[in-house]
Amino acid sequence: MTTQIIDSVLEEAKKQDAKKVIEVHLIIGKMTFLGIEQVRFAYNILVEDTIMKGSKLIIEEQDGTIECPSCGYKGSLQFEDDPAYHVPIPTLRCPKCGKAAKIVEGNECTIRSIRMLK
Amino acid sequence: MANTKEVVNGEEVTLEIEPGMDILEVNKQLAQKNMKLLRKHNVKAIDIMGSIGAGKTSLIEKLVQALKQKYSIAVFKGDLTTTIDADRIGRHGVQVLTINTGRECHLDANVVARAVERISLEDIDLLFIENVGNLICPAEFPLGTEKRVVVVSVTEGPYMVIKHPFTFMTADVMVINKKDLAEIMKIDTEQLKKQVKDINPDVKVAVTNALSGEGVEELIKALEL
Repeated sequence: MTTQIIDSVLEEAKKQDAKKVIEVHLIIGKMTFLGIEQVRFAYNILVEDTIMKGSKLIIEEQDGTIECPSCGYKGSLQFEDDPAYHVPIPTLRCPKCGKAAKIVEGNECTIRSIRMLK
Repeated sequence: MANTKEVVNGEEVTLEIEPGMDILEVNKQLAQKNMKLLRKHNVKAIDIMGSIGAGKTSLIEKLVQALKQKYSIAVFKGDLTTTIDADRIGRHGVQVLTINTGRECHLDANVVARAVERISLEDIDLLFIENVGNLICPAEFPLGTEKRVVVVSVTEGPYMVIKHPFTFMTADVMVINKKDLAEIMKIDTEQLKKQVKDINPDVKVAVTNALSGEGVEELIKALEL
Protein backbone atom coordinates (compact mmCIF):
# COMPACT_ATOMS: atom_id res chain seq x y z
CA MET A 1 0.00 0.00 0.00
CA THR A 2 2.76 2.42 0.92
CA THR A 3 4.51 1.61 -2.37
CA GLN A 4 1.32 2.56 -4.19
CA ILE A 5 1.07 5.81 -2.22
CA ILE A 6 4.67 6.70 -3.09
CA ASP A 7 4.28 5.72 -6.75
CA SER A 8 1.23 7.96 -7.00
CA VAL A 9 3.04 10.89 -5.37
CA LEU A 10 6.05 10.44 -7.65
CA GLU A 11 3.79 10.35 -10.67
CA GLU A 12 2.13 13.62 -9.63
CA ALA A 13 5.56 15.16 -8.97
CA LYS A 14 6.75 14.09 -12.41
CA LYS A 15 3.71 15.67 -14.03
CA GLN A 16 4.61 18.95 -12.33
CA ASP A 17 8.33 18.65 -13.17
CA ALA A 18 9.18 18.90 -9.49
CA LYS A 19 12.77 18.75 -8.22
CA LYS A 20 11.83 17.63 -4.77
CA VAL A 21 8.80 16.61 -2.75
CA ILE A 22 8.77 18.29 0.64
CA GLU A 23 5.50 17.28 2.21
CA VAL A 24 2.82 14.63 1.70
CA HIS A 25 -0.50 14.86 3.47
CA LEU A 26 -2.52 11.63 3.67
CA ILE A 27 -5.98 10.91 5.00
CA ILE A 28 -6.33 7.36 6.27
CA GLY A 29 -9.75 6.08 7.29
CA LYS A 30 -10.04 4.35 10.63
CA MET A 31 -12.03 1.58 8.97
CA THR A 32 -9.13 0.59 6.72
CA PHE A 33 -6.61 -2.04 7.73
CA LEU A 34 -3.72 0.37 7.39
CA GLY A 35 -1.49 0.83 10.42
CA ILE A 36 -0.25 4.40 10.73
CA GLU A 37 3.01 3.31 12.34
CA GLN A 38 3.66 0.78 9.58
CA VAL A 39 2.87 3.24 6.79
CA ARG A 40 5.34 5.69 8.34
CA PHE A 41 7.99 3.00 8.73
CA ALA A 42 7.64 1.79 5.14
CA TYR A 43 7.45 5.37 3.82
CA ASN A 44 10.80 6.36 5.28
CA ILE A 45 12.49 3.33 3.75
CA LEU A 46 10.78 3.51 0.36
CA VAL A 47 11.47 7.22 -0.29
CA GLU A 48 15.21 6.75 0.29
CA ASP A 49 16.36 6.80 -3.37
CA THR A 50 13.69 9.13 -4.70
CA ILE A 51 13.04 12.87 -4.85
CA MET A 52 10.76 12.29 -1.83
CA LYS A 53 13.72 11.62 0.47
CA GLY A 54 13.46 13.71 3.61
CA SER A 55 9.88 14.75 2.90
CA LYS A 56 7.48 15.28 5.76
CA LEU A 57 4.63 12.82 6.03
CA ILE A 58 1.43 14.10 7.60
CA ILE A 59 -1.23 11.50 8.33
CA GLU A 60 -4.73 12.61 9.25
CA GLU A 61 -7.12 9.94 10.47
CA GLN A 62 -10.71 9.87 9.28
CA ASP A 63 -13.37 8.56 11.65
CA GLY A 64 -15.85 5.95 10.52
CA THR A 65 -19.32 7.18 9.53
CA ILE A 66 -22.30 4.93 8.98
CA GLU A 67 -25.63 5.40 7.28
CA CYS A 68 -28.65 3.24 8.03
CA PRO A 69 -30.69 2.18 4.99
CA SER A 70 -33.63 1.27 7.26
CA CYS A 71 -34.16 4.44 9.31
CA GLY A 72 -31.86 6.96 7.62
CA TYR A 73 -29.57 7.53 10.61
CA LYS A 74 -26.26 9.03 9.60
CA GLY A 75 -23.50 9.48 12.11
CA SER A 76 -20.39 8.13 13.67
CA LEU A 77 -19.76 4.45 13.95
CA GLN A 78 -20.76 2.92 17.27
CA PHE A 79 -18.52 0.87 19.51
CA GLU A 80 -19.18 -1.87 22.01
CA ASP A 81 -17.20 -0.51 24.89
CA ASP A 82 -16.50 -3.57 26.99
CA PRO A 83 -13.36 -2.98 29.07
CA ALA A 84 -12.45 -6.66 28.66
CA TYR A 85 -11.80 -6.06 24.96
CA HIS A 86 -9.05 -3.50 25.59
CA VAL A 87 -9.91 -1.76 22.32
CA PRO A 88 -13.59 -0.88 21.75
CA ILE A 89 -15.19 -3.22 19.20
CA PRO A 90 -16.86 -1.39 16.30
CA THR A 91 -20.37 -2.41 15.27
CA LEU A 92 -22.48 -1.83 12.18
CA ARG A 93 -25.59 -1.92 14.37
CA CYS A 94 -27.58 1.29 13.90
CA PRO A 95 -27.85 3.10 17.26
CA LYS A 96 -31.37 4.27 16.38
CA CYS A 97 -33.15 1.19 15.03
CA GLY A 98 -30.69 -1.68 15.66
CA LYS A 99 -30.56 -2.83 12.04
CA ALA A 100 -27.38 -3.10 9.99
CA ALA A 101 -25.95 0.17 8.70
CA LYS A 102 -23.47 0.77 5.87
CA ILE A 103 -20.06 2.39 6.17
CA VAL A 104 -19.94 5.65 4.21
CA GLU A 105 -16.72 7.19 5.51
CA GLY A 106 -13.54 5.80 6.99
CA ASN A 107 -12.70 3.35 4.19
CA GLU A 108 -10.35 5.65 2.33
CA CYS A 109 -6.66 6.27 1.93
CA THR A 110 -6.46 9.61 0.17
CA ILE A 111 -3.52 11.75 -0.88
CA ARG A 112 -4.89 15.08 0.25
CA SER A 113 -2.00 17.27 -0.82
CA ILE A 114 1.60 17.23 -1.92
CA ARG A 115 4.04 20.12 -1.53
CA MET A 116 6.98 20.15 -3.87
CA LEU A 117 9.83 22.31 -5.12
CA LYS A 118 9.99 23.15 -8.79
CA MET B 1 -8.23 17.82 -11.72
CA ALA B 2 -5.80 18.66 -8.95
CA ASN B 3 -5.84 22.14 -7.46
CA THR B 4 -2.45 23.78 -7.59
CA LYS B 5 -1.00 26.73 -5.73
CA GLU B 6 2.38 28.23 -6.45
CA VAL B 7 4.37 30.16 -3.86
CA VAL B 8 7.39 32.06 -5.17
CA ASN B 9 10.05 32.59 -2.53
CA GLY B 10 13.22 34.06 -3.99
CA GLU B 11 14.42 31.60 -6.60
CA GLU B 12 12.45 28.61 -5.35
CA VAL B 13 8.92 27.82 -6.30
CA THR B 14 6.90 25.66 -3.94
CA LEU B 15 3.97 23.97 -5.51
CA GLU B 16 1.11 22.56 -3.54
CA ILE B 17 -1.19 20.21 -5.36
CA GLU B 18 -4.31 18.52 -4.07
CA PRO B 19 -4.75 15.35 -6.06
CA GLY B 20 -7.39 14.01 -3.67
CA MET B 21 -6.89 10.54 -5.03
CA ASP B 22 -7.96 7.52 -3.01
CA ILE B 23 -5.36 4.79 -3.28
CA LEU B 24 -7.87 2.12 -2.24
CA GLU B 25 -10.33 3.46 -4.80
CA VAL B 26 -8.32 1.87 -7.61
CA ASN B 27 -9.09 -1.58 -6.23
CA LYS B 28 -12.72 -0.65 -5.50
CA GLN B 29 -13.21 0.50 -9.11
CA LEU B 30 -11.60 -2.65 -10.49
CA ALA B 31 -13.85 -4.69 -8.23
CA GLN B 32 -16.89 -2.87 -9.63
CA LYS B 33 -15.67 -3.67 -13.12
CA ASN B 34 -15.27 -7.36 -12.25
CA MET B 35 -18.76 -7.43 -10.79
CA LYS B 36 -20.26 -5.82 -13.89
CA LEU B 37 -18.51 -8.27 -16.19
CA LEU B 38 -19.54 -11.29 -14.11
CA ARG B 39 -23.15 -10.08 -13.87
CA LYS B 40 -23.25 -9.52 -17.60
CA HIS B 41 -22.46 -13.20 -18.05
CA ASN B 42 -24.84 -14.23 -15.27
CA VAL B 43 -21.99 -15.59 -13.17
CA LYS B 44 -22.50 -15.50 -9.43
CA ALA B 45 -19.12 -15.09 -7.70
CA ILE B 46 -18.38 -15.80 -4.06
CA ASP B 47 -15.23 -14.75 -2.18
CA ILE B 48 -14.23 -17.18 0.56
CA MET B 49 -11.90 -15.78 3.20
CA GLY B 50 -10.56 -17.21 6.42
CA SER B 51 -7.43 -18.19 8.32
CA ILE B 52 -4.96 -20.81 7.19
CA GLY B 53 -6.41 -24.22 8.06
CA ALA B 54 -9.93 -22.97 8.80
CA GLY B 55 -11.31 -25.40 6.21
CA LYS B 56 -11.94 -23.16 3.20
CA THR B 57 -10.78 -25.72 0.63
CA SER B 58 -12.65 -28.60 2.28
CA LEU B 59 -15.81 -26.49 2.30
CA ILE B 60 -15.40 -25.61 -1.37
CA GLU B 61 -14.94 -29.31 -2.15
CA LYS B 62 -18.23 -30.04 -0.40
CA LEU B 63 -19.99 -27.09 -2.05
CA VAL B 64 -18.76 -28.24 -5.46
CA GLN B 65 -19.96 -31.80 -4.83
CA ALA B 66 -23.38 -30.57 -3.73
CA LEU B 67 -23.84 -27.98 -6.47
CA LYS B 68 -22.13 -29.27 -9.59
CA GLN B 69 -25.32 -30.80 -10.98
CA LYS B 70 -27.20 -27.52 -10.59
CA TYR B 71 -24.45 -25.10 -11.66
CA SER B 72 -21.52 -25.03 -14.01
CA ILE B 73 -18.75 -24.14 -11.55
CA ALA B 74 -15.26 -22.68 -11.74
CA VAL B 75 -12.93 -22.08 -8.80
CA PHE B 76 -10.07 -19.62 -8.37
CA LYS B 77 -7.67 -20.73 -5.71
CA GLY B 78 -5.41 -18.10 -4.18
CA ASP B 79 -2.24 -19.38 -2.56
CA LEU B 80 1.28 -18.08 -2.12
CA THR B 81 2.74 -21.19 -3.73
CA THR B 82 1.79 -24.68 -4.97
CA THR B 83 -1.31 -26.12 -6.63
CA ILE B 84 -1.99 -28.59 -3.79
CA ASP B 85 -5.40 -27.16 -2.92
CA ALA B 86 -6.32 -26.54 -6.55
CA ASP B 87 -5.61 -30.20 -7.28
CA ARG B 88 -7.87 -31.23 -4.41
CA ILE B 89 -10.77 -29.20 -5.83
CA GLY B 90 -9.97 -30.19 -9.41
CA ARG B 91 -10.58 -33.84 -8.57
CA HIS B 92 -14.28 -33.04 -8.39
CA GLY B 93 -14.37 -32.34 -12.10
CA VAL B 94 -14.64 -28.55 -12.12
CA GLN B 95 -12.38 -25.98 -13.70
CA VAL B 96 -9.81 -24.67 -11.19
CA LEU B 97 -7.37 -21.85 -11.73
CA THR B 98 -4.57 -21.32 -9.24
CA ILE B 99 -3.57 -17.77 -8.45
CA ASN B 100 -0.12 -18.00 -6.89
CA THR B 101 0.53 -14.66 -5.26
CA GLY B 102 4.18 -15.40 -4.46
CA ARG B 103 4.46 -13.11 -1.45
CA GLU B 104 1.17 -11.29 -1.26
CA CYS B 105 -1.11 -12.15 1.65
CA HIS B 106 -4.38 -11.51 -0.20
CA LEU B 107 -6.02 -11.48 -3.62
CA ASP B 108 -7.02 -8.15 -5.11
CA ALA B 109 -9.43 -7.08 -7.83
CA ASN B 110 -6.60 -6.80 -10.36
CA VAL B 111 -5.37 -10.39 -10.10
CA VAL B 112 -8.96 -11.60 -10.18
CA ALA B 113 -9.60 -9.55 -13.35
CA ARG B 114 -6.61 -11.24 -14.97
CA ALA B 115 -7.82 -14.66 -13.87
CA VAL B 116 -11.31 -13.94 -15.21
CA GLU B 117 -9.77 -13.28 -18.65
CA ARG B 118 -8.47 -16.83 -18.68
CA ILE B 119 -11.77 -18.60 -18.24
CA SER B 120 -14.76 -18.75 -20.50
CA LEU B 121 -17.53 -16.91 -18.67
CA GLU B 122 -20.10 -18.22 -21.12
CA ASP B 123 -19.46 -21.73 -19.85
CA ILE B 124 -19.96 -21.11 -16.13
CA ASP B 125 -22.60 -19.66 -13.83
CA LEU B 126 -20.96 -20.00 -10.42
CA LEU B 127 -17.46 -18.95 -9.41
CA PHE B 128 -15.90 -19.62 -6.02
CA ILE B 129 -12.81 -17.56 -5.25
CA GLU B 130 -10.81 -18.96 -2.36
CA ASN B 131 -8.73 -16.15 -0.95
CA VAL B 132 -5.26 -16.53 0.55
CA GLY B 133 -5.42 -17.96 4.09
CA ASN B 134 -5.48 -14.80 6.17
CA LEU B 135 -8.18 -13.27 8.33
CA ILE B 136 -7.08 -9.66 7.97
CA CYS B 137 -5.73 -8.30 4.66
CA PRO B 138 -8.23 -9.88 2.22
CA ALA B 139 -11.04 -7.94 3.87
CA GLU B 140 -9.50 -4.66 2.68
CA PHE B 141 -9.68 -5.69 -0.97
CA PRO B 142 -13.12 -6.41 -2.43
CA LEU B 143 -12.85 -8.57 -5.54
CA GLY B 144 -16.17 -7.82 -7.19
CA THR B 145 -18.05 -10.85 -5.88
CA GLU B 146 -21.77 -11.02 -5.05
CA LYS B 147 -21.06 -12.38 -1.60
CA ARG B 148 -18.20 -12.61 0.84
CA VAL B 149 -17.87 -15.53 3.19
CA VAL B 150 -15.58 -15.67 6.22
CA VAL B 151 -14.72 -19.13 7.52
CA VAL B 152 -13.58 -19.56 11.11
CA SER B 153 -13.05 -22.88 12.83
CA VAL B 154 -13.52 -23.74 16.48
CA THR B 155 -9.88 -24.81 16.76
CA GLU B 156 -8.86 -21.19 16.31
CA GLY B 157 -10.21 -20.36 19.76
CA PRO B 158 -13.15 -18.35 21.09
CA TYR B 159 -11.95 -14.86 20.14
CA MET B 160 -11.67 -14.98 16.34
CA VAL B 161 -14.64 -12.68 15.84
CA ILE B 162 -14.00 -9.99 18.40
CA LYS B 163 -10.31 -9.86 17.54
CA HIS B 164 -11.06 -9.20 13.85
CA PRO B 165 -14.18 -7.01 13.87
CA PHE B 166 -13.38 -5.19 10.62
CA THR B 167 -13.13 -8.44 8.68
CA PHE B 168 -16.57 -9.56 9.86
CA MET B 169 -18.07 -6.21 8.94
CA THR B 170 -17.32 -6.95 5.30
CA ALA B 171 -18.86 -10.44 5.37
CA ASP B 172 -22.29 -11.56 4.16
CA VAL B 173 -21.95 -15.05 5.58
CA MET B 174 -19.85 -16.47 8.42
CA VAL B 175 -19.11 -20.18 8.60
CA ILE B 176 -18.17 -21.76 11.92
CA ASN B 177 -16.37 -24.90 10.83
CA LYS B 178 -15.17 -28.05 12.61
CA LYS B 179 -18.35 -28.15 14.69
CA ASP B 180 -17.54 -31.74 15.67
CA LEU B 181 -14.59 -30.41 17.66
CA ALA B 182 -16.50 -27.62 19.44
CA GLU B 183 -17.09 -29.62 22.59
CA ILE B 184 -13.50 -30.85 22.83
CA MET B 185 -12.24 -27.30 22.25
CA LYS B 186 -14.77 -25.96 24.78
CA ILE B 187 -16.15 -23.51 22.24
CA ASP B 188 -19.72 -22.26 22.43
CA THR B 189 -20.74 -21.69 18.80
CA GLU B 190 -23.82 -19.73 19.97
CA GLN B 191 -21.47 -17.23 21.63
CA LEU B 192 -19.53 -16.82 18.36
CA LYS B 193 -22.83 -16.26 16.54
CA LYS B 194 -23.87 -13.62 19.04
CA GLN B 195 -20.52 -11.83 18.74
CA VAL B 196 -20.69 -11.63 14.96
CA LYS B 197 -24.31 -10.42 15.03
CA ASP B 198 -23.26 -7.67 17.45
CA ILE B 199 -20.70 -6.45 14.95
CA ASN B 200 -22.72 -7.06 11.79
CA PRO B 201 -26.47 -7.65 12.39
CA ASP B 202 -27.07 -8.66 8.74
CA VAL B 203 -24.55 -11.50 8.59
CA LYS B 204 -25.86 -15.04 8.09
CA VAL B 205 -24.22 -17.87 10.00
CA ALA B 206 -23.74 -21.52 9.07
CA VAL B 207 -22.21 -24.08 11.43
CA THR B 208 -20.46 -26.86 9.54
CA ASN B 209 -18.23 -29.89 9.55
CA ALA B 210 -16.56 -29.63 6.16
CA LEU B 211 -15.20 -33.17 6.32
CA SER B 212 -18.51 -34.90 6.86
CA GLY B 213 -20.55 -32.32 4.97
CA GLU B 214 -22.75 -31.54 7.95
CA GLY B 215 -24.15 -28.01 7.76
CA VAL B 216 -23.20 -27.52 4.10
CA GLU B 217 -26.90 -27.37 3.15
CA GLU B 218 -27.28 -24.56 5.69
CA LEU B 219 -24.38 -22.74 4.01
CA ILE B 220 -25.88 -23.22 0.55
CA LYS B 221 -29.11 -21.67 1.85
CA ALA B 222 -27.20 -18.75 3.39
CA LEU B 223 -25.50 -18.19 0.03
CA GLU B 224 -28.90 -18.29 -1.70
CA LEU B 225 -27.67 -20.96 -4.13
